[in-house]
Amino acid sequence: MSEGLETTRGFEAALRRIGEERYHHRHPFNLRMHAGELTRQEIRTWVRNRYYYQTRIPIKDGMILAKSASADFRRDWIERIHDHDGQKPGEGGLELWLQLAVAVGLDRAEVESLAHVLPGVRRACDAYVEFVESHDLLESVAASLTELFAGDIMVVRIAAFEKHYPWVAAEGLRYFRSRTHQAPRDADWGLRFVLENADTIPDRQRCVAALERKCEILWGLLDAVERVCTRPEVVTHASVRSDEQTGKTTVVLPERVLNLGGSSGEILARCDGRKSAEEIAEALQAAHPEGRSVADDVHEFLDEMERLGAIRRLPAVE
Amino acid sequence: MKAPRPYNLIAELTYRCPLRCPYCSNPLDWKAVGDGLDAEAWARVFREAAALGVLHVGLTGGEPGARRDLAEIVRAASTADLYTLLVTAGTPIGAEGLAPLVDAGLRSVQLSIQDAVAEESDRIAGTACFEGKIEFARAVRALGLPLVLNVVLHRHNLGRVAEIIRLARELDAERLELANTQYHGWARLNRAALLPTAQQLEDAAQVVREARRAGPRPEIQFVLPDYFADRPKPCMGGWGQRALVVTPDGSVLPCHEAGRLPGLEFWNAMDRPLAACWAEAPGMNAFRGEDWMPHPCRTCPERARDFGGCRCQAYFLTGDAARTDPACALAPQHDLVVAARSEAEAELVYRGRAP
Ligand code: SF4
Ligand code: SF4
Repeated sequence: MSEGLETTRGFEAALRRIGEERYHHRHPFNLRMHAGELTRQEIRTWVRNRYYYQTRIPIKDGMILAKSASADFRRDWIERIHDHDGQKPGEGGLELWLQLAVAVGLDRAEVESLAHVLPGVRRACDAYVEFVESHDLLESVAASLTELFAGDIMVVRIAAFEKHYPWVAAEGLRYFRSRTHQAPRDADWGLRFVLENADTIPDRQRCVAALERKCEILWGLLDAVERVCTRPEVVTHASVRSDEQTGKTTVVLPERVLNLGGSSGEILARCDGRKSAEEIAEALQAAHPEGRSVADDVHEFLDEMERLGAIRRLPAVE
Repeated sequence: MKAPRPYNLIAELTYRCPLRCPYCSNPLDWKAVGDGLDAEAWARVFREAAALGVLHVGLTGGEPGARRDLAEIVRAASTADLYTLLVTAGTPIGAEGLAPLVDAGLRSVQLSIQDAVAEESDRIAGTACFEGKIEFARAVRALGLPLVLNVVLHRHNLGRVAEIIRLARELDAERLELANTQYHGWARLNRAALLPTAQQLEDAAQVVREARRAGPRPEIQFVLPDYFADRPKPCMGGWGQRALVVTPDGSVLPCHEAGRLPGLEFWNAMDRPLAACWAEAPGMNAFRGEDWMPHPCRTCPERARDFGGCRCQAYFLTGDAARTDPACALAPQHDLVVAARSEAEAELVYRGRAP
């Protein structure tokens, strides 16, 4: 993967190519968002979950600050934290995102509480923070270069929301508007830093890998959001039964017998191709109000069942 | 010893088969064994199996389609409340022969194909059958049954794994089993001609990884052949643990090769209740659980995963079924497998030099 990395120009081209090929503007969920195909529920789920990502950004930026011994660097980088957190309560990117949440019909306090963030989204975002924690300044800045591609996606997104999702009030889109100029400014600065400081091929390779990793993380976030909006359905050829000997839920498939314990029967009974995975998780929670949160377990179980061929996922519908 | 509950019955309905695959693991003397159990006897086996806790039956052979009373047998299995999987090469059932089986309660089909291209597939099968198989696969889906495709991989088709996956997608297969040749039965005789090289396997593994990334279906199973993995495969969920095989003449075995191990006494479902054949036959108990295990399996942390490997392979390679499977890198006789592997590499070099 070192082709072209001998020259600064080749290095920059390699970084930009990653964006072309792997940035989440190509993710099916984003493509559908921009084509106006998402349901209200999907938009809400995305906004609620993406908020978790937003909350991690200033944390990782704080970590990056602490990695630099240069006052010039810190003076510049700290701008990002100001952008996100604002100079006082009621300002900044996080606040604007909450306004978006309200505009799409979510409860502000609920979103802020992070109580319903999906496990897959949490994992993806935490992985980003951990990446920055465990890698050096250069790689951390390189990972942030997805901003290079963010400006364009915001322009597309604003147009898509205005055109396809008129039910979202215009004030809700202020976050996107703010990013159309912030992201390219930050990215130019970050890019210059990376180009100047990665002057060996191994360093450049590390930067490329960091940016790829970051793209994977953003991709994983959308994967998780997309999946909970689908409607799981037990495949018609599966035989779901309650075992005569054990009383446990058993699923028989062409090539395997699954012995399932716990609430798997209750979950599978709800996989009728009508309810979304998220609704199934909520229903299960409602059925066990005294217990701890079951959403994580439900989503992990559904993933496992899909992998084993017991359920398939139908796309979301309005 | 208290026998565990079996979940899966492998019903070998016949050894007859119209194909002639060089890696077939059926006994070499299959012609000498007739189809001992009639449909009524199978019906009894199915009922007894269900009472033992079995939920799933694989109707296999040879070629189960070679039996004229197949529909009756399928009906008996489904009446016993077993989930049925027909394991077939597609002929002689044919697309038209499927509907009566579905009416009789057939739930799913595993179809073996030999390759993704007709000439190669027919060459391996020893007869022109590829087009018929494709038609058969489409009929399976048209009738709403899930389709499992099984392709035995070897040196001559490993390079076409991508095409095979494409074909599986196109046929809307639920699952694709890319089985690497096991070197028992006929395949032992042809071992040197079939063994793939490590590079071939590595390339195929890469193709499989990419295909898996593209989506969950078809589920792709790809297992390295024993000769190239450094741990043995878990055998049928453990000897006499989860599955039982009933052969065309009624013998009850832990796996379809086990009947060929000398000195093991298995019982016959025609003579005794299936429960006794499963729980009490001396052969069934010979390698059940962990008490029989030799060093190093006895204390190995992986023994619950692979159960010490394949008894039959241990026997074929070392002459003693109670040894650690030489496919395991920890086995005292692992060098036997290493030698076989270099045999494959050596032959390839020789071929490469030929004009
Ligand atoms: S003993 Fe060997 S041949 Fe028999 S099932 Fe196990 S692995 Fe297969
Ligand atoms: S030593 Fe035995 S139990 Fe351990 S990995 Fe090898 S075969 Fe399996």
